[in-house]
Amino acid sequence: MNEIPTMSPEQLGMSKYTRRQFLKFSGAATAASAASVLSINDIAEAAITRPLPLGTPILVVVTLYGGNDGLNTVIPYQDSNYYAARPTLNYKAETLLPLSEGLALNSSMTGIKSLWDAQKVAVIRGVGYPKPDRSHFSSMAIWQTGSPQTHLNTGWLGRWLDNQNTDPMLAISLGSVLPPLLAGAKQSGSALPLGGLAIPTGAIGAACMRLSEVSQRDSKLSAAAATSMRNLFSVSGNVTPVLSQAAPIADDLPTVTGGNAGGDSNLTQQLNIVAKLIAAGAPTKVWSVSLGGFDTHANEANAQAALLGTVSTSISKFLSQMKASGRSKDITVLVYSEFGRRVKANGSDGTDHGTAGPMFLIGDRVQGGMFGDQPSLTKLVDGDLAVTTDFRDVYASVIEGVLLTPAEKVLGKWNGRIKAFKSA
Amino acid sequence: MKRLEIARLYNRFGFGPRPGEYTKALTAGVIATKQSLLNPPQIDSGAVALPEVTDLGKRPEPNTPEVITFSRGLRVQSQDIELWWLDQMVATNKPLQEKMVWFWHGHWATSIGKVNYPMPMLLQNQTFRQYATGNFNEFAKAMFKDGALQIWLDGGENTVKAPNENLSREMMELFLLGVNRYTEGDVKELARAFTGYQVSRSAGTVVYNAKRRDTKSVTLLGKSAVMTPEDAITRLVSQADCAKFIAERIWYRFISSQQPLPTNHQMIGAFAGREIAPVLSTLINGSDLANPEYEIVKSPVEWFVGVCRALSLTPSKLDSFSKLHGYLQKLSQVPFAPPNVGGWPTDEAWLSSASAQFRIAFATWLVNQADLSAIQAQTPEQRIAYLADLLAVVEWSPRTLFALREVRDVVPRLVILAICSPEYVVSP
Repeated sequence: MNEIPTMSPEQLGMSKYTRRQFLKFSGAATAASAASVLSINDIAEAAITRPLPLGTPILVVVTLYGGNDGLNTVIPYQDSNYYAARPTLNYKAETLLPLSEGLALNSSMTGIKSLWDAQKVAVIRGVGYPKPDRSHFSSMAIWQTGSPQTHLNTGWLGRWLDNQNTDPMLAISLGSVLPPLLAGAKQSGSALPLGGLAIPTGAIGAACMRLSEVSQRDSKLSAAAATSMRNLFSVSGNVTPVLSQAAPIADDLPTVTGGNAGGDSNLTQQLNIVAKLIAAGAPTKVWSVSLGGFDTHANEANAQAALLGTVSTSISKFLSQMKASGRSKDITVLVYSEFGRRVKANGSDGTDHGTAGPMFLIGDRVQGGMFGDQPSLTKLVDGDLAVTTDFRDVYASVIEGVLLTPAEKVLGKWNGRIKAFKSA
Repeated sequence: MKRLEIARLYNRFGFGPRPGEYTKALTAGVIATKQSLLNPPQIDSGAVALPEVTDLGKRPEPNTPEVITFSRGLRVQSQDIELWWLDQMVATNKPLQEKMVWFWHGHWATSIGKVNYPMPMLLQNQTFRQYATGNFNEFAKAMFKDGALQIWLDGGENTVKAPNENLSREMMELFLLGVNRYTEGDVKELARAFTGYQVSRSAGTVVYNAKRRDTKSVTLLGKSAVMTPEDAITRLVSQADCAKFIAERIWYRFISSQQPLPTNHQMIGAFAGREIAPVLSTLINGSDLANPEYEIVKSPVEWFVGVCRALSLTPSKLDSFSKLHGYLQKLSQVPFAPPNVGGWPTDEAWLSSASAQFRIAFATWLVNQADLSAIQAQTPEQRIAYLADLLAVVEWSPRTLFALREVRDVVPRLVILAICSPEYVVSP
């Protein structure tokens, strides 16, 4: 039977992440269970033999790496303090896309604005956690493990996986490296590399296949090396052509100004693949995609607008692609970043690492509107926005509202919720 | 045990042996091999001449003849520095020095992806060379004035009017102390101490601009004073946490990323004078190298350079730069282009199915360009043991032995298999 994940202090060796732990964690969770690497074909086959029943809710998590500047995403455009804090890094009110309560979206986010108008977007304001950490690596680890105070070696969705039947298809991350988010103790999500795999054939293929057996004498890493080769051969030859095209070389965007804090660059392509696999009936309830480049310490306005434009366009395109499949009603998209940025712009028309930022929940099941309190621009904590909503309120609501699982199994006892989902 | 220790000396503290070196070292013994690693010749007889890299200046206006010349310059010089460094890693006769240059590149991880100009990247590489095993305080001060690092972390944008914290945060978190060994207040204060410097992007030179300087006192780790960047760095480097951090980083890249640095490891004490060389000799002369627990996966560049050394290949003489660059890109490790300021990943991150596929293709391409006559000259029975010594493989597993025996009559195939085997991809 399923067990409630233990969150006891004995299990929690350390209180803080070191970068070393996080990098190791994101490379491959050694303490958590190993991730499998899937091929498109594995998923396609599962979609045919055991498709996800129509009407099953699906969660798509979009991680924005680098620390997205929330104040220039959901903009308090009627607040003079905003213009005062950012005299040369603000947006003119008339270019923005007004929402409600004195807030407007960045002008590049027309796709999400249309979804807002259709009441499919919940904007959750001032999201963060107690004692904000301004290190990219530590803060991302906190968001992904869902545990601000204590170090856990599982991700919040990994712990959800631990409560499900074993199935490598349940949660899939696009890209060859599995994010800590999907690392569970009993089972982890799978990674789906962009671009197909070409299997060596002929004599060299046969010889390599022999090399890929795990030997009893293998150390842990040697066994992993052999396994990686064996997985290559487990991919069958007849790969669906549409899905197996190589990843494009060209990035969506210039990541030059904010590009030194990790993340992928081809969100559009990732969501495109997710759309096709969902439409095909993949038995997957959680998808993870990402975009990097949000570390905008300098010349932020254009770079961030381009990035937000990609987020907005790719999500709205993704949801409209889903309409024909009959599954668009099932999908909820969650968008977050590891922190917001400093209220006051720095001297280089950029912003330094900050604290609270907005999250988005998007989809037919979502109750559109504003949630949480907008952090005040005058009552700052060390120059940063005060956190008004704990991210665990959002996680708990998503675990219950989308994944239909008691939140306690993932987050332990946690009472906060946001009412961002329509009652069933 | 001797095979393990000597293989690790070659694979981890260098880029692998050249033909005959591992066998000779086995005869000479562990101690003699350590001695020659730690006492290399003064001058690197294998050193490769620096490529011609020039200040390309500002990017000309679009759609002009000048912009074409400029773009070609960027492309050619980027290619030249990449090939030069790979050649240098293959040809060096001072393996520990070169491996430390590679280590520091991953430590002060700066990418040409944002710096854009090859010249600052090459200058940074020269700084790594100058201080590779030298004094860390001097090194850190020199890195503050490094143009590429300043561009990468927006140092030139950090002014008295509005400090930019990118460089100051990473200086403490990733370069000198380690995460959570300072406060958020320290990040802001250090940023103020770092104000007043501007970079010429194309030349990579850092110049002082008094107008941008915050001349007021700063409070750094509890001490208040007016500090130059050099003063601030010296204060950080003198912290006990700095010794711990540098020992941790060396441990992580040379011994194990899976097991933590043992508390009170001798490397920490050896760093008392902030000299890097004693830390390395303490590690190399200590007992960790003999501990079979500490395995590590060769990164793609380490794997590639090792293959070139063993098969006497020269990267710049391979038949296509774009193919070489493409393979390194697919394996996610191109010199001068680390993925983020945290540096390269480790171990299992290099072992996906995708990388297995690219490694086999890369190996095939390389072996087809190598002179295999020395291997061919061995009897088929001898070839497998010969390859273990050529590649400093400690021992073939029964699985790999079986696979190699099946193809021992076809030498190219045999070599491809050997260099793609778990025993070669992983440094045991």
